[in-house]
Amino acid sequence: MKLLALVLAAVSASAATPAFEARVRSIVDTVAHPKSLENASISTVAAKLYLHEDAAWCSSRVVELFAGPQSGDMFWMFPVTATAYLDRGQLSAEARSALRRSWKSYAPYRGDTENHFLLYYTSLYLMSQLYPDDGPETWFTGKSSKDNMEEARQWIEGWVKLTTTRGQGEYDSPHYIQEYLIPVSFLAAWAKDPAMKKRASMMLDFLIADYAPENIDGITVGAQSRVYDKQLLEKSLNLSSDFLWLWFGLGRGLTPPGNSTFYYVIASAYEPPEVLRRIATDRSTPYTHYERKRTRNRWRFWDERHGPVYKTTYVRKEYAVGSDQGGVLQPIQQHSWDVTWSVPDPRGVQNTFFTLNPHSSLRELQTYFVFTSDSGIQDVVSSKKMYDSPDKFSGGSPYEKIVQDKDALIALYNVADGARFPHINGFFSKDLAEVREDPSGWIFLRGGEALIACRPLRPYFWKPIEEGGKRLFSPYRKNGVVVQVAAVSEVGGMDAFRKAILALPLDIRLDPVPAVTFRSLRGAMIEFTYGEVPKVNGKPMDYAHWPLFGGPFLESAVDSEVLAIHHGGLRRTLDFRSLTVTDSGR
Amino acid sequence: MYRCLLLLAAVFPAAAQPVLYACGNDSQTYVVGSKAPTSGLFHRDRAGGWTHYGYHHPLIFGFASDPSHPGALLLSAGNGLLRAVGAGLDWTQLTGSDVTELRDVDVDRSTGAVYFGYAAGIRVTRDGGKTWSELSGGLHRKFTESIRVDRKRSGVLLAGGEDGVFRSEDDGRSWRLAGASGVQILRIEQSPHDACFWLASTQGAGLFASHDCGVTFENLGFVGVGRNLYDVAFDPTTAGRIAVAGWGPGVVVSTDGGRSWKPRNEGLPGTEATAAVFDPATPGRLFVSIHDRAVYVSDDAGASWRKDGLEHTHVNRLRFVEVAR
Repeated sequence: MKLLALVLAAVSASAATPAFEARVRSIVDTVAHPKSLENASISTVAAKLYLHEDAAWCSSRVVELFAGPQSGDMFWMFPVTATAYLDRGQLSAEARSALRRSWKSYAPYRGDTENHFLLYYTSLYLMSQLYPDDGPETWFTGKSSKDNMEEARQWIEGWVKLTTTRGQGEYDSPHYIQEYLIPVSFLAAWAKDPAMKKRASMMLDFLIADYAPENIDGITVGAQSRVYDKQLLEKSLNLSSDFLWLWFGLGRGLTPPGNSTFYYVIASAYEPPEVLRRIATDRSTPYTHYERKRTRNRWRFWDERHGPVYKTTYVRKEYAVGSDQGGVLQPIQQHSWDVTWSVPDPRGVQNTFFTLNPHSSLRELQTYFVFTSDSGIQDVVSSKKMYDSPDKFSGGSPYEKIVQDKDALIALYNVADGARFPHINGFFSKDLAEVREDPSGWIFLRGGEALIACRPLRPYFWKPIEEGGKRLFSPYRKNGVVVQVAAVSEVGGMDAFRKAILALPLDIRLDPVPAVTFRSLRGAMIEFTYGEVPKVNGKPMDYAHWPLFGGPFLESAVDSEVLAIHHGGLRRTLDFRSLTVTDSGR
Repeated sequence: MYRCLLLLAAVFPAAAQPVLYACGNDSQTYVVGSKAPTSGLFHRDRAGGWTHYGYHHPLIFGFASDPSHPGALLLSAGNGLLRAVGAGLDWTQLTGSDVTELRDVDVDRSTGAVYFGYAAGIRVTRDGGKTWSELSGGLHRKFTESIRVDRKRSGVLLAGGEDGVFRSEDDGRSWRLAGASGVQILRIEQSPHDACFWLASTQGAGLFASHDCGVTFENLGFVGVGRNLYDVAFDPTTAGRIAVAGWGPGVVVSTDGGRSWKPRNEGLPGTEATAAVFDPATPGRLFVSIHDRAVYVSDDAGASWRKDGLEHTHVNRLRFVEVAR
């Protein structure tokens, strides 16, 4: 019966969206044929070369584009690399020479994030592979092609090993997803070394598997390392939506498609296997998915370079609840927990609810960055404008601790005296169908088919949000929220939900630190005291054995380098120790 | 080959000319991937004009002359230790993917060893950059903002990071806390007149001084406490004259070896000073950089100032470097 439902769902999805090849072609066509070629970018050149059209125009445009100073660092490197590989004899000698010379006349910076390094070293690897005998005088690095390749190979292999043993540092970003998929797609398509090619093709499965269970209707859910302010609230605007549409036909994709999917498809154009499609699309049974990631490089104030990130994501067709353990795990753009509900058409919809302590501190920035202290926050605000705002909705806080069991979640706050923003913000979307403040202290919400109960631990008041919705503002340092979510189909409606929630045992203490004991709607007794290991049904959370991936679909132990991907009878196992892929079932 | 080069350099020393260099970038904040700002390395010619030198590079924090390549500079940069030869694009990355976020570089002129401090420790090369060894094994916290070689005592190094000033007497194999425990160090400098006199500037805790060859450091207590002191400059021409550049204090000058200090900001457009250096060839000539404004020069040790150049820049370091001709 379940299989039949899956088949029907697949048929229905395929009727609504074009097949993978057609989606690929639509992306390339859009980039290859802009309304005007007058200011066409290198991407249009790459698209036309991919399609084998307008070679003369491509050559002249390359000469024009490379005539002046270059900029963009690794974001310059990867489009140029793609153009060089898509050339395949189409460009004129003059154009090819101009492109090649730019790798000496311009010195792109390597950057300071995981995605920067991956883009930089992948591009350097592939360009050096294309010109294997060139000497150090021809490269901005001052190193020969051979030395460039070796340095890049070492870094790329190290990154794969770290990612498959301890997880990504820039984990589950619905924006920066592109900057992992693009270079890995490049390597899978263009690396000549069979081991590098195989490793990259396996990493495509690994990365896609990382996103597949944490989406509903093509919208990425769960705790995230880096997300931008607008996309944090209007989730369908994230670039991950483009990829989930491309891979699985989920959602609608962005119109027009961004360059992110374009550079993915013009290299390997990898279509995920059926087992991943099923994981990404099957929401017939609720599940809890676990992941362990790592923090960004911590340059100061810590003994260990990376710390662990423990993620829990509960997913069902109506909604998802996701969290990490709290704390500052990433600078600036961290998103620690939320509830996301499914909507028929997410465009323009802010289908999410969460709270946070807005945190801004030099210590946070100096943990992860090396810049000078006085201009540091100013430098960050120049590109991440809300970082130092009391009204912000993104970022981790050292004063936030979180526990989650299925769709029950407790976030506790113990904000230090002297903290820049000693209050709690709660995001209450303009798209909530219902907001009911109950005399009991609970706030009852309805978003789509999700019923959300939120119990702030301290008094609060409302502030309007300019773009719509309202902000819960609670100016108390010892604080917290208890959250329980359920589907309308389970409880029958808001009144029944309210009655069920009010019947749940709940004990709240604020001194000496916030502490909550709560029996969830699904029967779990959650005991959580700020600063202590939370207990569920009397057992402390077992962080020591948290899996790299765990849940019904993905299994991987920390340090194993093996990921088992399965759904029903289908199974794919990626073994990065032996670079083998094993498929079984049907 | 490398030892031969050093030997030749010692036997036939090239005529050296101190040249003022600056590293930094324009006041537009650089974000990785953005349009490359006017940035990197600049030098000041004899006529007083500033010229950009080599590639644009957004994050260079220190430099020193290269003992193995006469005429070349070593640059401690965000993406590695770089060798820049001449004024063109003859740059070489001497390090690989395993180090990043370099903060400072210094050279042992007696051995040719090159040391750099970076986000994850300290490294040294003794073969002109072919191989590198990590030296921070004995440091509890690795982040190193400043590294200096004692020019008189072979094997003695001073390093400043997030947790104070540390001193090694065995070329970095082991380290001992010398002072400023728990304080972030921004710069360490050795007096050109008294090799046992060292100063360390800090983030928030003022200046620390050592009069026992860097074995111990004591807080001077009254300069820039609560603010960040980014640079310390000894005047090579005049013993006892020292300048400190800080964000808030601006330029502070001592003429009695650090016993007393006076602000010297009259005529400067702001007090966000990021770097300072005395001209070794002109007594009393002091250069400072003011964040987002320009480099200013004084011919009377800070009593009066005039704009010198590099307008709208953030300068990370000003240094006279003897470049062989």
